[in-house]
Amino acid sequence: MSDLRTEAVEGSADGVADGAGSGRLRRLRAPRTVAAALVATAVLVVAGALLYDVIAVRAGQPARRWRAQIVDELATRHLDDLWVLVGAGAAALLGGWLLWLAIAPGLRRWLVLRPYGGTSAAVDRAGIGHLLADRAAALAGIDHLRIRVGRRGVRVSLAGPADPASVQRQLREELDRVGLARPLRLDVRTAGGRRAGGDAGKGPESDGAAAEGPAADAGAGPGVVG
Amino acid sequence: MRRVIVNRVLLGAAGVVLLGVGVLVLAGGLDLYRRLGVHPPESWPLTSPDQPVVSARTRGRWVSSTWWWPTVIGGLAVLLVGMVWWLVAQLRRTGLSSIAVPTPGVSGLRLRVGARALEEALETGTAVLPEVERAGVRLVRAPGHPRLRGAVRLTPGGDPAALVEHFEDGPRADACRSLGLPELPADLRIRVLQAAPAEPRHRRTRRRRQSRVE
Repeated sequence: MSDLRTEAVEGSADGVADGAGSGRLRRLRAPRTVAAALVATAVLVVAGALLYDVIAVRAGQPARRWRAQIVDELATRHLDDLWVLVGAGAAALLGGWLLWLAIAPGLRRWLVLRPYGGTSAAVDRAGIGHLLADRAAALAGIDHLRIRVGRRGVRVSLAGPADPASVQRQLREELDRVGLARPLRLDVRTAGGRRAGGDAGKGPESDGAAAEGPAADAGAGPGVVG
Repeated sequence: MRRVIVNRVLLGAAGVVLLGVGVLVLAGGLDLYRRLGVHPPESWPLTSPDQPVVSARTRGRWVSSTWWWPTVIGGLAVLLVGMVWWLVAQLRRTGLSSIAVPTPGVSGLRLRVGARALEEALETGTAVLPEVERAGVRLVRAPGHPRLRGAVRLTPGGDPAALVEHFEDGPRADACRSLGLPELPADLRIRVLQAAPAEPRHRRTRRRRQSRVE
């Protein structure tokens, strides 16, 4: 029980934006605690060392070797020096990554459910994949099944004599039962390229790649199931 | 102040500074201004690949002024204190040890209920709901009012929407009523387990995976 209790907290301390009135969709945002602690520690160490040495020098002591060396390097190395360029590239990459952490919402494995009363909830994408896989396992005529749950849509590819349209109907029913705040697109296709009509045409801005990409990189998609 | 906002603003600021310095040095070092035919303004720093990162002119510009060292020391000290505060804010526990319970009609009495008792009551109340395999509930600090945070694992085929309704009408409503709390918002994180896949299919999956690797 203790692992679930810690999980209840660590998932996100400030994960759910509150203050959103009823009806407005809440958005999950990761608190970025670890990144913040790391950056704070790094700045703390650098600023602390620098402050200590500056005060020591003002008090009449010689500067530490490391500071004299850094100042010397900065004053002599030119901008086209390899190490300067490597350092600048690393700083730019790190800065871009921190900026991404600051802007991206995070918590990509959770999909928000419709709130009910004072309770808001989110279900993990792999869980939705499990529900769909279990439902599909009860259907006849499916030899092989692959379900990818993205953040905007579900992609199901199946092999076997089953009719994709009827599979789609069944899975759509299962998906609607989950009660997501923002319904997922459902795209069922067979290995031969036969595709279920109707629902699949729902999203003209079909972002199939976007739906399957996150499942792969977040590792939340159930991958090969069935 | 909300921690998530502070974290994201400060992370963004650190990112912008690092990215700005890095790009500025890269642009100068790779001589991008000349290659792209861009003419930066007169005071633009680090434009030529032949100049040192920190030139003697830059270094000597303010060092002789009387305000320079006090400013540096003051700035570093402020930065240091700010970083300590930021770090402590990350390390602070989000859990609460107790929650205040209103005592209407009784003056001079302040009542607090231990968070663990409340959490255990909610956990057992949630665990007996249909389709729940395991449940964990914590009472956490939140701006304005304490919140409940629950992690629930459902049995295969479980219904997340039904769980939310059962939780709201069951354990949460009971807790609010028995403590007399006007509100106690809750966030649930729900996972659904998968039924064990049928044996022949499993083997087929394995084989397919292997053949893909080869």
